[in-house]
Amino acid sequence: PAGPCGVAVPRAGLKKLALPPDYSGITIPEKPKLKFLDKVPAVPKVQREPRQLRDIRGPSQMATDFTQGQYGILALGGGYLHWGHLEMIRLTVGRSMDPKSMFAVWRVPAPYKPVTRKSLGHRMGGGKGPVDRYVTAVKSGQLVVEVGGRCEFGEVRPFLARVAQKLPFPAVPVSRESLREMRREEQERRLNNQNPWTFERVVASNMLGMRKYLSPYDLQLKGRYWGKFFLKHRV
Amino acid sequence: AAAGKMAALGSGGTRWRQAWLPALQQLRRGSKAVTRHWKAMHLQRQKLLAVTEYVPPRPPVPPRCRGVTAWSHRVPCPQEDGLARVLRRQLEDTLRDSRMVAVCQYNSMADEDMATLRHFLRRHNIHVKFVLNEIARPVLAQSKFRTLLPLFVCRNILLVSPEARAREMLRVLRGVPQVNLLAACIDDTILSPQGVENFARLPSLQECQGQTVAALSLLCSQTSSLLQRGPSHLTALLDQHIQRLRGAEGATEPPQG
Repeated sequence: PAGPCGVAVPRAGLKKLALPPDYSGITIPEKPKLKFLDKVPAVPKVQREPRQLRDIRGPSQMATDFTQGQYGILALGGGYLHWGHLEMIRLTVGRSMDPKSMFAVWRVPAPYKPVTRKSLGHRMGGGKGPVDRYVTAVKSGQLVVEVGGRCEFGEVRPFLARVAQKLPFPAVPVSRESLREMRREEQERRLNNQNPWTFERVVASNMLGMRKYLSPYDLQLKGRYWGKFFLKHRV
Repeated sequence: AAAGKMAALGSGGTRWRQAWLPALQQLRRGSKAVTRHWKAMHLQRQKLLAVTEYVPPRPPVPPRCRGVTAWSHRVPCPQEDGLARVLRRQLEDTLRDSRMVAVCQYNSMADEDMATLRHFLRRHNIHVKFVLNEIARPVLAQSKFRTLLPLFVCRNILLVSPEARAREMLRVLRGVPQVNLLAACIDDTILSPQGVENFARLPSLQECQGQTVAALSLLCSQTSSLLQRGPSHLTALLDQHIQRLRGAEGATEPPQG
């Protein structure tokens, strides 16, 4: 507001009284903190498995939506979570939340996939190395943890952001509304794209023989994924 | 065994050619599809990604021509608030019912001083009202106090009264340095602070009426004295004459006695 001589004068406005949020349908379970996940499954695998990096590639089909909680961490890239990451998540979330009014839930299974490693300093050959550790595969678009309870996004976001930053793949804290907004914006971009040439169209009809330089998986990935990375800016 | 080996190597002239399978041949060098690092893309793929980038829709009129600035999206749209409506109605009622409305600038003062000020003004039936500019501005813009709009900038208070007691108000406000009178509207007349002082120095209505009556009846009251001026003058002269005669008689008698 401009005062006399055009100087901006600060003023106090009318107090906007907002209604407090409604937490009527929320129940906190008995064990609100995150469950302890084992480093090694109960029945450790004897047969060493091939690498199968396709469990990192592409969009996720499981745990893409919220079930119990209102806020969570969304993975924006693929990667492997091992026991150290899971412990970090468990302890940080357990330390930062209030067990009386909030609860947290895993959306990711305990480490199940054996990853081998050869001993350092040896040459190639001599067979596959022994199992070094177990990991959980996470694809883009999957929720890692869910947090809920009598809390608002602003309270939960700081510690979820700290956790998300430490994960081996890019991740963001989301709420139900923000995830819905993200999806809606993505769809809107797809619909109001003024470019008549889309990756999907070019690949599906093999224009200019592009499929020679692309993978058969690009038919489903449609240029939004490259390896384990998720290209957010692509439509 | 040797013959079998020979047959396996190449049956006569015909050689079984290995087909060139790109899935096998291109994987001889380079990494797998999913790597920890950002794998370098083929140039054709890079070109394809560049061609198929997202192109946002352009509005026919550019936003800067429509008056959209960097700060316009930050201004929240005015939401009709029940509290704002109530305050606005109260302000409208107050302005309608009062004969005198004085706008003063308010600097912060102690609560006790404020209570004392309110008490003194209330003695003369003057009410102190704190107004919020964001409510007062639209109300005033539609009422007859349009000229007072530029005054509602900082914190201000309204002194409203159903009767115009300017002298007492000025006396009280003179003792309070934190409240400065900016303007007043008395009986649909907008006055500056000097105008308010002049108004305060004016005599009250009864006195004015009495003065008018006196001025009108002055000529009538003079009629009787005018008529009696001749005889009264003669009477005065005769009195003086009698006194002089008496004085002359008295002067002659004492020398006899």
